Parts: sequence; structure tokens; C-alpha cells
Amino acid sequence: MGKWIALGILAVLVVACLIGGVFVAGTYNSLVSLDQKVQAQWGQVENVYQRRADLVPNLVQTVKGAAAFEKDTFTQVAEARAKVGQINAAGIANDPAAFAKFQQAQDGLSSALSRLMVVVERYPDLKATQNFRDLQAQLEGTENRIAVERMRFNEAAQAFNTKRLSFPTNLVAGFFGGRFNEKPYFKSQPGAETAPKVQF
Amino acid sequence: MKRLLILLLVFITLLAAVSMAAAEVPIPPAPTRWATDTAGFMAPQALASVDQRLEAFERSTGNQVLVWIGTTTGDTPAEEWTVNAFAKWKVGRKGLDNGLILFLFAKDQKVRIEVGYGLEDKVPDVIASRIIRDVIVPRIQAGDRDGAVSAGVDALMSAIQPGAVSEKAAAPAAAAMQHQARPLSIPQMILLAILGLAFLVLLITHPGLAIYLLFSVLSGGRGGGGFSGGGGFSGGGGSSGGGGATGSW
Repeated sequence: MGKWIALGILAVLVVACLIGGVFVAGTYNSLVSLDQKVQAQWGQVENVYQRRADLVPNLVQTVKGAAAFEKDTFTQVAEARAKVGQINAAGIANDPAAFAKFQQAQDGLSSALSRLMVVVERYPDLKATQNFRDLQAQLEGTENRIAVERMRFNEAAQAFNTKRLSFPTNLVAGFFGGRFNEKPYFKSQPGAETAPKVQF
Repeated sequence: MKRLLILLLVFITLLAAVSMAAAEVPIPPAPTRWATDTAGFMAPQALASVDQRLEAFERSTGNQVLVWIGTTTGDTPAEEWTVNAFAKWKVGRKGLDNGLILFLFAKDQKVRIEVGYGLEDKVPDVIASRIIRDVIVPRIQAGDRDGAVSAGVDALMSAIQPGAVSEKAAAPAAAAMQHQARPLSIPQMILLAILGLAFLVLLITHPGLAIYLLFSVLSGGRGGGGFSGGGGFSGGGGSSGGGGATGSW
């Protein structure tokens, strides 16, 4: 009789373990898939920022030709561009400190570029050239892309974080330590109302 | 009783005022035609001609180019509104993202070209911006609204695929397509016969596979959008990432 009870308990335990295992695996997999979405979207964010950084030398060259006196502005842009270039963007989406540094550097370039565009207002001849207008269109398009990809990154990060922090997923995520850290968000820049809104 | 009525009236007025202040313009459901004018901006004939050209363009090249004319985007910046509309309408085919929308907002006096990911190399920001400021805006400023949209669409189509649809050839071709099915040429008939025969053989030897193939072909055709609906536009699942340009007149 006692043998049967022991066997019954064992069977219940085995079934419970199986159910638990399946649950953990399912949760782990869904976290991995959400994490991959965040990483892919991070790639997009990096892309559009890189696109802007690539645009800077050409833009500076064009403006320099017509407005050589504005040395300070050019230096600021060059410094901000250099800071952006120093950042190694790999794996930042999982590291809040590096993420904050990345955002700070990119915001620095944003404001340097917006100052450059303010300077250009004083040179109507430059503004009228085809070359400058094309560059302006590219910069405008790139800033817009940055806004879109940042927004989509935040959406992907939110989807991940919601899953990561809700019960009982948080217990499973806890097992894996740093593998499933909460994702940081892009925050709007202080004084974003005055951020580079390049007008025609 | 009278007091209650007045109170109710005040409440309703307040509610209306609040909803006016929050000038959010919701994104309408996906259009059913290639060119849509909700603002009475263009003459109906000119709009229909643009629509036919865009339909023919999709049939011959697979690229979905839309024109959508609204009044305003409210407090939302035009760029944000259009990228959300693009995402909601799913213009362009899934995976290819070969869609593009030319937006005009009559009251805001704004033009925006929103380019799908897959067409960013054909219509880079510089080209979009040039089309806006050299083709569209000058014509609108000169009072030729129909010409502005028509010429803008032609410029966009020739940027995507030069020579695919010319203004004169497109209208009759599209009309012919609507009225009668094109007769098949002899090589097409032979090809169809061979395919049919191969399918019959497969049906006898591997019935399961044959039925699976039939299903996947039938469901695959739906993803294309525009082809199956008997003339109407439908989005194919494409997306955009804010590429393009904005201008105002």
C-alpha cells in the first residue's frame, strides 16, 4: 500500500517538474525573441545615427566655403562628431550607463548641428545653392529617420520590459542573471523643442 | 427642470471645447484607391487620371505609389503623422517595402513624400526634396493644383522606374484592363498548359503535396495587394522609416 502512495507522489512530482520545465522554456524563449527584436531595432538606431555622422564632413565642407569666419561653430561640430565616433555602439542596448553616454554624445552632435544651421541663416547666398539645399534635405531626412527609429526602439524596449518585469516572468528572468537586464529608453533631449528642426 | 437642462447644455459645450482643444487628427482607414482627395483639392478628372496611372504603375512594376490629400495633421508634426499613416496602411509589399505616399495637406499648406524602406535608394531624400521644391510647390504657387500633383506623381514614378508608365499610354491601358481580360499570347498558353499538366501528374502521384501547393499559391497571391481586389488598392504589409522630404507652399 505504502509503495503505491510513494509511486503516486513521485508521478505527481515528475508531472509538476515537466510542467515547470515547459513553462520556464516557454518564458525563456519569449524573452529571447523580444530581446532579439530590441537588438534588431537597436541596429536600426545605430544605422541612422551613423548616416548622420557620415553626412557631417560634407555639410561642414559646404558651409565652410561660404562662411569661413564661423570658426567656433565648426570646431564645436567637429568635436561633437569626434565624440560620437569614439563610442563603440555594440551591446549598448543592455547597458544603461553606456546607453546614457551614447545618447549624450548624439544629443551633443544634434545641438552642434542646430547651431550650425542657425549660423547658415546669416548667409542667404549659401542657402540658395543647390548643393546646400540637397545637404539640408539629407540632414532633415536623417533627423526624421532618427526620430522614427528611436520611437520604434522605445516601443520594442517597452514590450521587452513589460514582459520582463511582470509576474511570473520576472522569476524566470531572475535565474539568468544579467542575460535579461531591463532595457533603457531614449529620453527626449532637454530643450528638445529647439532641436534641429531644419526649415525650408 | 429648466436648471438641469441648462446644466446639461453647459456640460456638452465644455465637452465640445475640450475635444476641440485636443486637435488630434486620427489616421483614417487605408484608402481604397491609389489617389484619394479628402480635401476637394483637385478636379475629379485629374484625380482619376492620376489614380489610373498609379494603378497601371503598380501592375507593371509592383511598386505601390499612393497620393493622399488631407486638410491638416492637427498638432502632430506632418512627418510623425505620415509615418504612422504609412505603418497603418502597410503600403508596399511585405519584405520588399516598395511603397511610397505623396501626402498633401491643403489647410497646412504642406507636402510630404514618405518613402518605404525598399525605395530609399530609388527616391533618396535629395530627389524627394527636389521633386517637392522644383516640381510640386512652384505649380501650386502658380495656381495649377492638378498639374502639381500630376507632374509630381510622374516625377516620382520616373525616379522609381524610368519609362514604366508614360502619361499618354497609361490611361487607355488601364481602362482596357478594367473592361476586358487581356487575351493570352501563344507562348503563355503553352506555358499554362504545361503547368496544368504537371499539376495533374502531381495530383495523382502526391495528392497531399499538390493540394498544399494549390493552397500556398492561392494565399501567396493575396499578399501582393491591389491585384486581387478587382481594381481597389490594398496594402501589402510594407513599412517606412521616416525617409523622404517635407515642403510647404
